[in-house]
Amino acid sequence: MTRSGRYVGVLLVALYCLAPLAWQLLTSLRPAGELTTLPPLLPTRFTLEHYVSALTGHPFARMLLNSFIAAGAATAVALAFGSAAAFALTKMRARRVGLLLAIVLATSMFPPIATVSPLYLVINALGLRDSLAALILTYASFALPLAIWVLANFLRQLPDELYAAARVDGCTPLQAFWRVVLPLAMPGLTATGLLVFIVAWNEFLYALTFTATERSRTVPVAIALFPGLHEIPWGEIAAASLVVTLPVLVLVLRFQRRIVAGLTAGAVKG
Amino acid sequence: MKRLRPLGERPAVFLAPAVAVLALVTLFPILYVLWLSLQRYSLIGGAPEYAALDNYVRLLGDARFWNALGNTLYFTAVSVALEVALGLGIALLLAQAFAGRGAMRAIVLLPWAIPTVVAARMWEWMYNGDFGVINYLLGTAINWLGNPYWAIHAAIAMDVWKATPFVALLLLAGRLAIPPDLYQAARLDGAGPWRLFRHITWPLLRPLLLIVLIFRTIDAFRVFDAIYVLTGGGPANTTETLSIYAYKVLFQTLEFGYGSALAVVVFVCIAAITAVYVRLLQRTVL
Amino acid sequence: MRPAKRKTLRRLGAAAAAALLPGACRDPAPRAPRNATRTLVFKHSKLFGNPRALAALIAEFEARQPRVRVRTEALPSASDEQHLFYVINLRAGARDFDVLALDVIWIAEFARAGWIADLTELMPPAERGDYFPAALAAARYRGRLYAVPWFVDAGLLYYRKDLLAEYGVAPPRTWDELARIALHLRARTPGLHGFVWQGKQYEGLVCNVLEYLWSAGGDVLRGGRVVLESAENRRALAFVHALVPRGISPELVTTATEEGSRHIFGSGRAVFLRNWPYAATLFERPGARVRGKVGIAPLPYFPGHASAATLGGWHLGINRRARYPEEAAAFVRFMTSPEAQRALAREYGLNPARRPLYADPELLAAQPHLEALRRILDAARPRPVTPRYAQLSQVLQGEFSAVVTGIREPEAALGAAQREIERILGSA
Repeated sequence: MTRSGRYVGVLLVALYCLAPLAWQLLTSLRPAGELTTLPPLLPTRFTLEHYVSALTGHPFARMLLNSFIAAGAATAVALAFGSAAAFALTKMRARRVGLLLAIVLATSMFPPIATVSPLYLVINALGLRDSLAALILTYASFALPLAIWVLANFLRQLPDELYAAARVDGCTPLQAFWRVVLPLAMPGLTATGLLVFIVAWNEFLYALTFTATERSRTVPVAIALFPGLHEIPWGEIAAASLVVTLPVLVLVLRFQRRIVAGLTAGAVKG
Repeated sequence: MKRLRPLGERPAVFLAPAVAVLALVTLFPILYVLWLSLQRYSLIGGAPEYAALDNYVRLLGDARFWNALGNTLYFTAVSVALEVALGLGIALLLAQAFAGRGAMRAIVLLPWAIPTVVAARMWEWMYNGDFGVINYLLGTAINWLGNPYWAIHAAIAMDVWKATPFVALLLLAGRLAIPPDLYQAARLDGAGPWRLFRHITWPLLRPLLLIVLIFRTIDAFRVFDAIYVLTGGGPANTTETLSIYAYKVLFQTLEFGYGSALAVVVFVCIAAITAVYVRLLQRTVL
Repeated sequence: MRPAKRKTLRRLGAAAAAALLPGACRDPAPRAPRNATRTLVFKHSKLFGNPRALAALIAEFEARQPRVRVRTEALPSASDEQHLFYVINLRAGARDFDVLALDVIWIAEFARAGWIADLTELMPPAERGDYFPAALAAARYRGRLYAVPWFVDAGLLYYRKDLLAEYGVAPPRTWDELARIALHLRARTPGLHGFVWQGKQYEGLVCNVLEYLWSAGGDVLRGGRVVLESAENRRALAFVHALVPRGISPELVTTATEEGSRHIFGSGRAVFLRNWPYAATLFERPGARVRGKVGIAPLPYFPGHASAATLGGWHLGINRRARYPEEAAAFVRFMTSPEAQRALAREYGLNPARRPLYADPELLAAQPHLEALRRILDAARPRPVTPRYAQLSQVLQGEFSAVVTGIREPEAALGAAQREIERILGSA
């Protein structure tokens, strides 16, 4: 690909991804009276009124913290358990690997809308209603199939001798897994982690049903609480949704380097 | 073929935590839904009554079910195809060296980072026939979400925008995991970009591509939030997918037996499609 | 690790631990000592506006009932999301909320499912005359009352006083008059739409179309029988079917919800709007484009029949497994008292369910449209009151949407709906 061609491509991709968000940003800065008139494309004046009213009177810090805990813990659990399972399936010569992978995958084939009610019974029986633990458990289990499949794929590409050599050197299976294999799977681990973190961050249906109060309410439910019975304050919703996307953006910027960093580490050792 | 396992290798120990979580959270709900699907049971109609396969027989004669199945298949096929094609292109582009590469990789992920319910609302406004920006920029006057032909395509366009980052990020990670020396060696042998792609990138990415395909299909086939906010299944049920139909049967009309049968059908369809994928691309995975 | 960072982490950890654990003493706490404080939980959709007004109202109740505390837990306002929440919770026998706000169309269903308590005794017959008859009808199941009307809604017609005055006509009384005025004004002003309403496939569409059926003398159920296939309904639906092709309504009504149509009318781009009363105060806000130019009227009718409005609104019910039914009853009584209704009307623009308040000088001074609204609400009708309403509505939504978008003829849609609803009610 030529240099200039590459930049044109990059520009187009950036435009495609950003344009709807840019429109959302413009909407959030538009005075209430102009929200539903077009033209003009740009508002006649820019206003922060929607940000002010979105951020006052809504306990945003708490919601963000809740979302971070729920999504972060679910991601950690999914990656830890998922990578251990993937390791067992690919490097430890487990039996019936194909069948196990198929069963794991099958758990994610039911529409969530159908399992929310029975899962509620489980959560209720565990005494976890209106707690973040309920969300963490749920999200982790939703994320596990993807984590296991993707990580198994990455681990499979690592030479088996690596693990064998570590074992011969006197590593326990856990040490070999933790010190040798896992670092090499870093790109897959990071990419999967980012994806499942965001899925958990955005989940609405289960968060709506399992939470009742601010103690455990997450961001998407908080945003759903903006409209009144009929009235939808579009400017405020636009402002709020951009505000809550910022932390994710920071996270993504930080972690995408890991994808590459993990590789370099892998290259040295491999 | 059975291989001998060295002493002290206990894969079960490593598998146990994941299996435990999955069993705890998914086993009971799935069995429960299967059981419900065999009952005549409405929350407003008294206790469940065993009905064998009655609910499934009723599905066969339910025109709304066939309509929803058709919509779901169409939605899944078109959006997954577009997402994979676009995502692969973006992944290969982002694997190249260029200034601002880190920022670009973050930008590409942004659509994925907007809660679906919010993103759908956002697109609903952009699609608005009167003050929507899409008509304004295109110079058209199309009633995107209210027109029986356009509505499902509008929903597909939104889903593609939202889910392409998923494909792109995973494939990018896979592409970066391919050792650079492979490309260098091939280039020394005089291979051009197409041959590099055809003989190195494609075969090595194929297993991951299969995984991406499976997971995107699972998600697209179960699509709910996005369409629910955009059109609610309308106009005239032209965008009603199986999940939306199941939702309406379960939680609006409270027919838990019939709604569960719908959910089981979704499961069976996805399992069948996945089996086809695996069969087609088997050599590359397991 | 730097100490400051460690401190932050520890604090985060503590917050995380607190958030992770469910409430310590949750479920069965009813055996508390007699003089201990009892905390009622009140579930309701978020009220749009200053949360302090509701808090003040609750403080007032707590002052009267020294041993009772009330915790409010807001749910998203979207009716479907609330329904989902209640179904899952109540079906599992949840006892962690006592009083709940109910959309008028759920009451029979929840009563049939055994989720809400019979409140007939809570409403003395002498008091019933205070309420709009349609609101009481919606709360009745098998002759008993299962909820107390809290606030009400009804469909009405908004029109542009200035445009109609220019043209020299009075607000339309019949649907044909509305069509004629809309077409005339549209022809004179480029970019102006005629009549906007809610045509997206959702519950709102059923509310809209029922108003046409009723105002032509038609109906869905009569004495338990399905009467969709009638000459009256065909006539009404034929009119709806033609609204877009004739240019009376823009094609975009087929995706419009309350807010979509309200914005179009509110930015001055339509002559007529069908909507709920909430829009009235928004049009008169300082800075609104149509301020001072909007009139309200009952919805038009077909000649020989009468105007009809679909009843909306919210009732208060009590969880049948409530931990504190007596206190919950006292709270419902309080929240539906004239004083509380006045406060809610003043602060949130919620229309009281009690008729006498529409003559309240204080309220009338602030919201002059209440006078006209009372007459509309008197003629309002509940949607078919049956535990299977949701199923009926599903069928009607699909068929009406097909009519509105022009892919099915009224005759065929009514026939299909008739058969499907007969099947549903037959299997009841």
